[in-house]
Amino acid sequence: MRMPPFQLHTPTSLEEAILIAGDLTSKKQEFDWVAGGTDLLPNYKWHLNVKANVISLAKISELTELNETHIGAMVRLQDLVQSSATHPVLAKAADTVASIMVRRSGTVGGNICLDTRCYWFNQTEQWRESIDWCHKCDCGTEADCRVIPNQNTLCVATYQADLAPVLMCLGATIHLAGPNGTRSMALSEFFQLDGMTRNVLQTGELVTHLTLPEDVAEWQGDYQKLRQRESWDFPEAGVAALWKKNGSAKPSQLRVATTGLESIPMLHTTQVAECLDGWSGAESINELSESIRKAVKPVQNTWFSPSYRRKMVKVLTRRACAGLMEGGS
Amino acid sequence: MAKDGNEDEMVGYRQQPGKLPFAKPGSGGKNQFSRPTDQNMIPESQGGNLAQPWGSHRHDKLVSGQIIGKPTALVDGKWKVTGQAQYGDDIRLPGELIGRIIRSPHHYARVLSIDFSKALELPGVVAIATGADAKNKFGVLPVTKDEHAMAVEKVRHVGDLVACVAAEDEATAREAERLIEVEYEILDSIHDMRDGLQDSENPIHDRGKYHIGDANVQKRVFQEFGDVDGIEENAIASHKENWLFAGVNHAATEPHAVVANWDPSGRLTLYTPQQVPHYVHRALADVLEIPMHQINVYRTFVGGGFGGKSDPFPHEMCSAILARKSGRPVRITFDREEVYWINRGRHPSRIEMNLHADEQGRICGIETDALIDGGGFASFGHVTTYYNGVLHTAPYEIGAFHYTGARVWTNKPASGAMRGHGAVNSRCAVETGLDDLAEQLSVDPIDLRLANLLPPHSATITGFRVTSIGMRECLERVKQESGWDKKFRKMPLGKGIGIGCGFFISGSGLPIHWDPNKFPHATVHLKIDMDGGVTVHTGAADIGQGSDTVVAQSVAEVLGLPLDLIRIRSKESDTSPVDLGSYSSRVTFMNANAAISAAMQIRDELLDATVEITGAEREKLVIGDRRIFAKNDPAVGVSYLEALHKAQEDRGALVASGAYRTPPMGRTHKGAAAGLAPAYSFSAYVAEVSVDVETGQTKVDKVWAAHDCGKALNPLAVKGQIIGSCHMGMGQVLSEEMKYGRSGHLMNPDLLDYKIPSVHEMPDVFPIIVESNDPEGPFGAKEAGEGPLLPILPAVCNAVYDAIGVRTAELPITPDRLLRLIERKCKAEGVDDPLELPSPRLEHSELQSVLSNRATEHAKRDLDRRHNENREPYHNGALFGLDPTTPPDEVDEKWAVNVIPSEEYLADPRLAGSAWKHTERRHRGDS
Repeated sequence: MRMPPFQLHTPTSLEEAILIAGDLTSKKQEFDWVAGGTDLLPNYKWHLNVKANVISLAKISELTELNETHIGAMVRLQDLVQSSATHPVLAKAADTVASIMVRRSGTVGGNICLDTRCYWFNQTEQWRESIDWCHKCDCGTEADCRVIPNQNTLCVATYQADLAPVLMCLGATIHLAGPNGTRSMALSEFFQLDGMTRNVLQTGELVTHLTLPEDVAEWQGDYQKLRQRESWDFPEAGVAALWKKNGSAKPSQLRVATTGLESIPMLHTTQVAECLDGWSGAESINELSESIRKAVKPVQNTWFSPSYRRKMVKVLTRRACAGLMEGGS
Repeated sequence: MAKDGNEDEMVGYRQQPGKLPFAKPGSGGKNQFSRPTDQNMIPESQGGNLAQPWGSHRHDKLVSGQIIGKPTALVDGKWKVTGQAQYGDDIRLPGELIGRIIRSPHHYARVLSIDFSKALELPGVVAIATGADAKNKFGVLPVTKDEHAMAVEKVRHVGDLVACVAAEDEATAREAERLIEVEYEILDSIHDMRDGLQDSENPIHDRGKYHIGDANVQKRVFQEFGDVDGIEENAIASHKENWLFAGVNHAATEPHAVVANWDPSGRLTLYTPQQVPHYVHRALADVLEIPMHQINVYRTFVGGGFGGKSDPFPHEMCSAILARKSGRPVRITFDREEVYWINRGRHPSRIEMNLHADEQGRICGIETDALIDGGGFASFGHVTTYYNGVLHTAPYEIGAFHYTGARVWTNKPASGAMRGHGAVNSRCAVETGLDDLAEQLSVDPIDLRLANLLPPHSATITGFRVTSIGMRECLERVKQESGWDKKFRKMPLGKGIGIGCGFFISGSGLPIHWDPNKFPHATVHLKIDMDGGVTVHTGAADIGQGSDTVVAQSVAEVLGLPLDLIRIRSKESDTSPVDLGSYSSRVTFMNANAAISAAMQIRDELLDATVEITGAEREKLVIGDRRIFAKNDPAVGVSYLEALHKAQEDRGALVASGAYRTPPMGRTHKGAAAGLAPAYSFSAYVAEVSVDVETGQTKVDKVWAAHDCGKALNPLAVKGQIIGSCHMGMGQVLSEEMKYGRSGHLMNPDLLDYKIPSVHEMPDVFPIIVESNDPEGPFGAKEAGEGPLLPILPAVCNAVYDAIGVRTAELPITPDRLLRLIERKCKAEGVDDPLELPSPRLEHSELQSVLSNRATEHAKRDLDRRHNENREPYHNGALFGLDPTTPPDEVDEKWAVNVIPSEEYLADPRLAGSAWKHTERRHRGDS
């Protein structure tokens, strides 16, 4: 396993980083951003879509701010886990990421922008040659998708990051910066359904931070993750459920989002709205779980089979919502 | 250089009166003064306080109370924890080149041409080799040499070796890899092991006149012992199950790595983390066509083997070939993916297991059919095919044993030997089957086992000579310590407890490469010079299991020395005597015995010298810590160094060579040697699990693990082996699997997707050491490296049944698989919510008391056979009313021994048995 050669750039400010990116773009040179490197570098070692330039964000201190409503893109996942400013459900989700060694390096921004994963893609070069490559890294062969054969227009690699569903349920806004200035949007609008494009980031643009609404502390909930082992493994399915109760048995607001099932994480607004409309307690949660099971469409490209992952979405949703039925607060 | 003033001392034959004496060389160890003997370490038979409930041992008189039986940190441990141990990839020779291997991207193909001209032109590329450079075959077993260094005609799986390149650095070597153009003709590949049983246009190998039909059957076995025809009539309960076991890999921490160097005198040194340096030594001589004496195999530290580093490997040949071509050292280190391509892991297997019990709760028949998937090469497969059958003919006394086994070639990485070689899968099937039989008979599964055990010093149905047996004690200990009676079939849904047993060889009775009557299994050399330190030369390969430590302990014990006076030289074939290496759990048994035998010779010389100095009576002399003294008057004695220097007066350094060979044993039918061992280990585990019935996730909470290792020479190492085995077995039963995709590709050749249990999955393991005092083992010891793996698989499977009433017949029990079974169970029970499933419960039948009574009787019988030296022979079959003193087939014609299937059987064979439908080409009359 050997890292392919690349030129490393280490800007010390956001401004400088964007300048370097702009400069490379104008010279038609390709590049990747690297934050903690726990996603990008293993992929590079496998020669997956390697670029000639890598811009490191490690020395940009302005991206590491962390408080109740502001999470810098370069905040380390373990810092998020340990900080008292972190919403407890977000801390729980962060704590399930990989292992502590990875979390000490991996960042919030990197987790949000995690590359999608697939059994036919996350392999060494020799291995991929033996299947004649695939759409997501075709090495100039225009290869088809190996999961859904005979097409090379849509990539169905799976988004397997843990933070996004919780942040989406908490109503997070994501903030981007690039050569054309800054922009912000709801996190749920950040992702774009395709395993290759993944999100709205333009060339030279990067995530600077996320903000959470002022009422974030009033939200309660849970994050449930399906995986073979309690460490290391990416989510085979992940369900976040967060709600505000305001003293009544029926939640005044409820949001449910899933990850690890398709190429992007998904906020299930329609299903939740139906559930709240005809609220009848535990029965409603069962129905919600079933409708979310029906809404997700995993494919055969991770450890567990798609049918099992769908069944588990139902169980995980029910378990994530279990707290709804407890007490009045 | 002596100082001026002392020069006089150094001349002249005798020391002048009144001058200072010569300085004595040697310190006698870190602590100058010898400790008084700890009587709690001296066995009762020698007058000490160490209780011997299992009787005395022939090595008792050699016990000096030093180190045997004391928890001892491994002698090479500090090298490892300080990072100074050199593993395969740590060897750096000046001027080294980096070797890379070009591998097949196809499952099965003919290699038409290889064009490496472009690669050779790349600056920095020094040498390229292909199959044309080494045409001689090799293989770990002399009967099945079917491997080449690189493809000669065909590639047999994705990742098979095609060519190799040596370059100035890794980047250049990888670049050269891309420039080598290979033209293939793709052949139809097979991936399902069942297809291997059929005739094929292009069998994966051609064994000439020995080829079995035109099929891909590499080895087939048929065995019938006992009253096979009577099974149906005698049985009142039968268990039938078709198992599917996924292949698993050793996944040792260290990937394979090798360095080859031809030195100026024209000799080759191969640095490699090998479990079996001697076999690679032989294979190198064959492949390179040079005599063995021109090769020095240097075993580096081994970062985990588990069987995965016990074959001679093609990449080892490649490095030697590239080094010869380039005239420079060549280092090759595998990526993790390449480790999976060389594999040699446990065979994917389809096992049909039928077990039968009669009205007295006796196991009146075991019928096993095992089809095992060998992948592209033979490796150890010949032996594996036998082991899948013969290694479950004990510890139970059985009425009949019917085994059909076949190993087929498929276009996958080769399977081979892995910890618990060949015994693990079928043992899992047997032990879960027994659990089911107990369920059918409404008896306790532990009592069922206790009432059917072979006694010590008996012969199994296949004629294995079993000496010490601690099975009963293992079962009793785990039953008691796990609180079995309060938990079994009594816990709520989702909580369960299960039992599993194991039986394994402690060394293989036959060395593969030679007649055991003409050359010993193991040899150990000792050399002691003036300084008092003992240099031990042994070829036993320390693969992390602690063989250096156990050999050092044995020598230290016999000579009464602290461990720091012992230095082990076990790495180089130039200096170590030939040894078969670290496999089949042979090292402690054989090498420690050889070491004891060598040390006894030195001991004799030291005692003679002591007699000469003190004039004491020889029979009264004992050895304590660095001191030899009269037992009746400890004041009369000499220090170790005094005795040593006296013994060296006329001859200089003391040297001794000790050897071990197995006693004659076993019967004469075809295949009788497979599974023969000088001793066997026994184990029993109880596992307690939690199963989430909604997700199918299983968590092992606690394991009580009793293992009979004869005598724990180093209890710390034995416990480590037990806990490590639990971890490895848990992986196979719960999550580890070499997963092949729909196109036949290995989908998870990396440690993220190959799911080894993490620390979170690891249960609390309570190791229980049972010491049955084997009469032939060193100080009574037997193996502890492989046997402890066996019971964890069935213990977990049985615990899952106890928890949720679902029996699995497919490993690993991943949550998705278990959930499918739970759903089926819900359907059968007519419940919608799995949380409403009933838990299995047990009402004892009348048979229960029959079994308990028989177990009590047998316990007495066993105790008697343990202590009575004049015991009569006991052959399997006595439980069924036959004369125990003669082999059953000699007294009852129904108890036949057959190794060839009858016409009648072939009319309707089982799955693997159908391999016998083919005729070997030499008998077919068409070759």
